[in-house]
Amino acid sequence: MSYPIASSLLDGIVLAVVERESTYGYRITQDVQQVIEISESTLYPVLRRLLKEGYLTTYDEAFAGRNRRYYRITEHGRTRLLQHRTDWQAYRDGIDKIFFGGQVS
Amino acid sequence: MNRNEYLAALWGALSGLPDEERASALRYYEEYLDDAGPENEARAIEELGSPQRVAAQILADYRELTTVPGAKNASQGENGSASSGQTTPKRGWRGINPWLLLVLVLLAIPIGVPLAAGVAGVIVSLLAAAVCIVLGVVVVAVALPLCLLLGGGALIVFSFFVWWNPPSAVVTLGCGLACLALGVLSALLMFKLCTLFIPPIFRGFVAILRWPFDRIRGVKR
Repeated sequence: MSYPIASSLLDGIVLAVVERESTYGYRITQDVQQVIEISESTLYPVLRRLLKEGYLTTYDEAFAGRNRRYYRITEHGRTRLLQHRTDWQAYRDGIDKIFFGGQVS
Repeated sequence: MNRNEYLAALWGALSGLPDEERASALRYYEEYLDDAGPENEARAIEELGSPQRVAAQILADYRELTTVPGAKNASQGENGSASSGQTTPKRGWRGINPWLLLVLVLLAIPIGVPLAAGVAGVIVSLLAAAVCIVLGVVVVAVALPLCLLLGGGALIVFSFFVWWNPPSAVVTLGCGLACLALGVLSALLMFKLCTLFIPPIFRGFVAILRWPFDRIRGVKR
């Protein structure tokens, strides 16, 4: 069974992947796909949005005779990721409470 | 479908986007297929799904990104880009095919121009009617006391010429004084009415005139 991934959660996931190391589109897709089921075409709009909002920047690096576009997290993006982490913790704790904790406050 | 065919189809399907966005999306998928490597190319293309579906996703996201904060711009664009739509299709109206927009604008002209003329005519005649009413009120307010005052004064003066017949002279003088008194009273009344009603009416009128300008300025902000 799989749960649909909300776009805000996808933003957080991509930010977390890029925070580990600056990386490129295909790698990000592969990395994310190892953990959650998403279609290959989902990530471009997410990356584009994160760029627009200034959470990521790009730089080009020569690779195998062509330029490869790398994504790097910005300070703004790190702050946002921190917010995602806190939000996720609260969300997960709530679900955990219902699933495993018995009583709900 | 090989890499080049796929990218060409994607480029075509992204025609609604501004050039910069379109090129950026194409570059991403070009690199994506390059990074997948020639040996995985067929599998990667299959996994991506049809170019139309990939493009639909990009277009939907782009529209969402631009319409939410730019809703006001869109309404402004209705006035602003109607004439400049052909020359600068990249500005405003993103996501809509510029040629389609041109056709829509041309189709709207036969309906829009008479409609605008009619609306303008109605507005002008309403304004003219308001001005006439105001002028009428002003004329009555000024003319009534003025006539009474002048008439009273004339009767008083006239009474001095008929002193050879005292009864009629006294009656004339009395009527003249009565008219003068009524004139003063009505003048005071009109003055009071004017001070009561003219400022609010004037303010309302100014507010009506200013409303479209404020709206334009508000939209621009």
